[in-house]
Amino acid sequence: MGFFLRKRVVSSAIPLVFVVLGVFCLARLTGNPVDLYLPLSATAQQRAEFSAAHGFDDSIAVQLWDYLAGAAHLDFGTSLRTGESAGSMVLQAFPVTLQLAGVTMLLAILGALVVGSLAAYRPNSLVDRIAGLLSMTAASIPDFWFAIMGVLVFGVGLDLLPTSGTLGGPEIWVLPIATLLIRPFGVLVQVVRGSMVGALSAPYVKVARSKGADAKRVVFGHALRNSATPVLTVAGDLTVGLVNGAVVVETIFGWPGIGKLMIDSILQRDFAVLQAAVLLTAVTIFALNILVDVCHALIDPRVRQAVPA
Amino acid sequence: MTLLTSACAVANSDTAGDAGSADGRTLRVVLTQEPPTLEPCESSLTATGVVVRSNITEPLVEREPSTGKLQPLLSTGWRQTEPTTWTFDIRSGVNFQNGQPFTAEDAVFSIDRAVNSDLACNVDGYVFGDEKLEVRAVSPTRLTVTTEKADPILPLRLSFVEIVPRTTSTKAKVRIPVGTGPYAVTSWQTGVSISLARNEKYWGKAPAYPRARYVWRSDASVRAAMIDKGEADIAMALDPMDATGDNSVAYPNNETTALRLDGREAPLNDIRVRKAIGMAIDRQGIADALLGGLAKPAAQLVPPGVVGHNDNLTPTPYDVSAARALVEQAAADGVPVHRRITLVARNGQFAGIAEVAEALQYEMAKVGLNVRIRMADTATHLQYQLRPLPRGVGPVALLIMHGNQAGDAAFTTSQYLLSDGPQSTFGTQELNRRIAAADTRSGKDRQKAFASVLAHQNTEVAQYAYLAHMRGLLGLSPSVRYRPDSATGDEMRLSEVRPATAGRH
Amino acid sequence: MTDLASRPTDAVTPSRTRPPRWWLLLGRDRGAAVAAVVLALVFLVAVFGRLFIGDRAVRQDLGASLRPPSLDQGFYGLLGTDVLGRSVLARLVDAAGTTLSVAVPAVLCSLLIGSALGMWAGYHGGVRENVAMRVADVILSFPSLLIAVVVLYVFAPSALNIVLILAVARIPVYLRTARAESAELRSRLFVDAARTFGTPSRHIIVRHILPIALPTLLTVATLDFCFVMLTESSLSFLGIGIQPPDVSWGLMVAQGRQYLQTAWWIAVLPGVAIVLTTVSATVLAAWVRLATDPAQRWRLTLPRKRRGDRAAVPPEMIA
Repeated sequence: MGFFLRKRVVSSAIPLVFVVLGVFCLARLTGNPVDLYLPLSATAQQRAEFSAAHGFDDSIAVQLWDYLAGAAHLDFGTSLRTGESAGSMVLQAFPVTLQLAGVTMLLAILGALVVGSLAAYRPNSLVDRIAGLLSMTAASIPDFWFAIMGVLVFGVGLDLLPTSGTLGGPEIWVLPIATLLIRPFGVLVQVVRGSMVGALSAPYVKVARSKGADAKRVVFGHALRNSATPVLTVAGDLTVGLVNGAVVVETIFGWPGIGKLMIDSILQRDFAVLQAAVLLTAVTIFALNILVDVCHALIDPRVRQAVPA
Repeated sequence: MTLLTSACAVANSDTAGDAGSADGRTLRVVLTQEPPTLEPCESSLTATGVVVRSNITEPLVEREPSTGKLQPLLSTGWRQTEPTTWTFDIRSGVNFQNGQPFTAEDAVFSIDRAVNSDLACNVDGYVFGDEKLEVRAVSPTRLTVTTEKADPILPLRLSFVEIVPRTTSTKAKVRIPVGTGPYAVTSWQTGVSISLARNEKYWGKAPAYPRARYVWRSDASVRAAMIDKGEADIAMALDPMDATGDNSVAYPNNETTALRLDGREAPLNDIRVRKAIGMAIDRQGIADALLGGLAKPAAQLVPPGVVGHNDNLTPTPYDVSAARALVEQAAADGVPVHRRITLVARNGQFAGIAEVAEALQYEMAKVGLNVRIRMADTATHLQYQLRPLPRGVGPVALLIMHGNQAGDAAFTTSQYLLSDGPQSTFGTQELNRRIAAADTRSGKDRQKAFASVLAHQNTEVAQYAYLAHMRGLLGLSPSVRYRPDSATGDEMRLSEVRPATAGRH
Repeated sequence: MTDLASRPTDAVTPSRTRPPRWWLLLGRDRGAAVAAVVLALVFLVAVFGRLFIGDRAVRQDLGASLRPPSLDQGFYGLLGTDVLGRSVLARLVDAAGTTLSVAVPAVLCSLLIGSALGMWAGYHGGVRENVAMRVADVILSFPSLLIAVVVLYVFAPSALNIVLILAVARIPVYLRTARAESAELRSRLFVDAARTFGTPSRHIIVRHILPIALPTLLTVATLDFCFVMLTESSLSFLGIGIQPPDVSWGLMVAQGRQYLQTAWWIAVLPGVAIVLTTVSATVLAAWVRLATDPAQRWRLTLPRKRRGDRAAVPPEMIA
């Protein structure tokens, strides 16, 4: 196991370098942010001074070298917008998104296991059909539309939930999480159902059933364990996709998370913050992928030997 | 499980909504975005100024938005003692929020810091340009400001400089400012909220609310929902679509929208084409259908109330056939009217801008021009708006929104009409000459001179096809009384907000 | 990535009897039949709709702004008008064309490139496989929506650029799926046999691996279809998607969100169009998967009651 893990971590570190390079160059392509940060009537000299002060007049190679040299000492530069350290801004925003994503995925997986199993237990039954239709619909609703409908219906119309924000009791979590949840939940229900149907019709389950094993034990003892692998894989990919959802949700509900930070830093051409944020999400995604692989290896011994990387 | 417990770190156990409790003692304001900084010398940035100006810090003099007259604030009187020198008397008995007394030294320090320092403050470039000021405190209660050239509107320019204590850093911008204003910052939770508390030692009339809290939501429907729900008392910039009589008030915000036509590129280099675009726009239709009936068709870049506004100019009538005839005429003279014009507009600049851009595109296409839309973000839009203008992008019709905060057309003409103005694409020597002449006048002459500059631009230059003088929508809960004015978008004076029960404005 | 339980082991054995006609099979499954009809309609509208509506989708009438759906305003007023007085019906038709012309090429591009690379990498293994997987890792670890925003701001938000960026963002999904399938197949007896006979690897991949991997890849592609439409919509929400006067369903939802309280039809109808199309595609994909799988096709020929254990969606699918 130790060898497997080490190999996986080392081979993942190389792509990280490419992520850093990629986001650095992309950010530079969006142009010099001098116009955004200087007064409309700033003189050419003021512009030149601003560029020099922030190193935008150096060649891209020099800028990259400076950045890498800083990053090696965990100094990710200073935000143009706030003047604070980019690293600390990102670390401050990160837990917010991590909590949102964590709770969302936990609920999505648990909910999908329950609904998916119910649907798979009697394929083509009414329950199955309703679950199928609802989950497919849930997976294809635009998230921002869902969020605004949620605010209008539950926030204003029914007066049940706060409209937005991060200050308040547990109820403030409901709408953001519901918005993030719909797509992973819809997709996972279908995955669970699919693999459970497959497992329930597999010979060993049929044998167990014909021996008179309790129906519940069959579902939860045999079939559920068998569907762990595909659910794990898909859940891992869906978690990665939550970054996209977080941008929308945090923008609408005013949550100070990494998604909002990234879109703001793009719009404000705040390169240091954007780079630090993308780097941190990339590291997290790597960690997540490794975690998924480790889980696979734990569940399925074959993976340990056959792992490609 | 650790996930769930740590989750509470974000959710402070604070009751009833984000902007604070609804106990009637905290004024809850929802902004469109988090201020990038609260640095007072950046307060000409709308997002910063709306929090800082006249709440946390105060200038020497301030402009009364409705009349345009200057009012004493930290200065009690001012006069031009020499052609290039102004003298200001300083109010005594005023203390900063940190307890330091306010003297002329602080005023000198603040002006130097904003205008002459290396901080690259926005207010420096915005109101002073290249002008270097010499500021001296002649006594603790008096200071003089000397300019290189005579400046008849220097007090107006100084109304943009917020006064800070002389202990403020000159090396770096401050995160939490100290001033003489009626409220002091108690905390700024990054990304979440900014809290203010009443300055109990304020020299002027004490504000009604002991505390205030700012939060921000970028989506207009969410801001409206917060007012409807009672989660906020005041919300900036609602959409007309979300507005009802109960949750909002409309007010003129001094902003004017127009298409800036790049007269250096064919076919926009032909004045007939530029004038045809002016005729092709159905201003009333756009104002009614897309701007919620709030805007008024415009005929110039400055709204009524600004010195230099020309009352005799009327909006170009909407006349498709005349416009088409002009375009055909130009085409007959060899103007390439089918060359594609790019209509650049900035996302979210005002409510309904995407629809307005589509309407403009359609109307311009109807008179025989080839137009495509490019919706840009602020940074991209600024590249089109400011010199040096982008090269190789072909003819550009830029949808601009200009707000003359200062109330004097000089701020508009120097930026938008001079042939080398920072936000102008072209001009004429004649127009430049008229603007320079107008800038040296004062009083009635100044008004007349700038009014004729604006008329001359319309008939002889036609760089702009005007759209409308805009009106803002401020979300206002029934529990508070506040009357927004044209400056509200840039400076929202919390001390003017009263609980509804008190019932006075 | 692979689910061995449902993999047919005798997939290459040709069926002796002629398989039943596909439309007969389709007719037996009511859900799949409805889905097929809906999809066919959507495609017909997307391809030919513009011929009928003329300039209706862009024709503005500020006086007819925000008319609710009604029967009184003629055919084009059936679904109401938007804020510029344009017919929502005509815009839905026009948008169908744009939406599909973004979504279909994007999905096809990522499907082709991703599967080809993935099968190649999985078949050969070793360094080639390692490099391909790391490339996939790099792409996956960029937050795709944000990178799309950056790229579109830099290179102007044209439909072509949107297609390219969405295609690149989804390549890893196919790459990983195809690699897993082909890595698993390369040690199978029939592949070994082909190799011993000296068949070039290109031929083995195309003739032996592709047919088996294809159903799974196609299923992933259908689901991606949904992802692409939703991402395109999110881009419009962030202000950088399809640029007017072009219109897509995603753009309609994004622009209509301001009017949810006053004019629900502007944002809800295109949303329904997205949901209908993707649900139909998912249902049909599940059916196609079954129908193209020689080991499972027999299930479709049975009467409804007895063919209970069909997976609506195979576990291999990815969001």
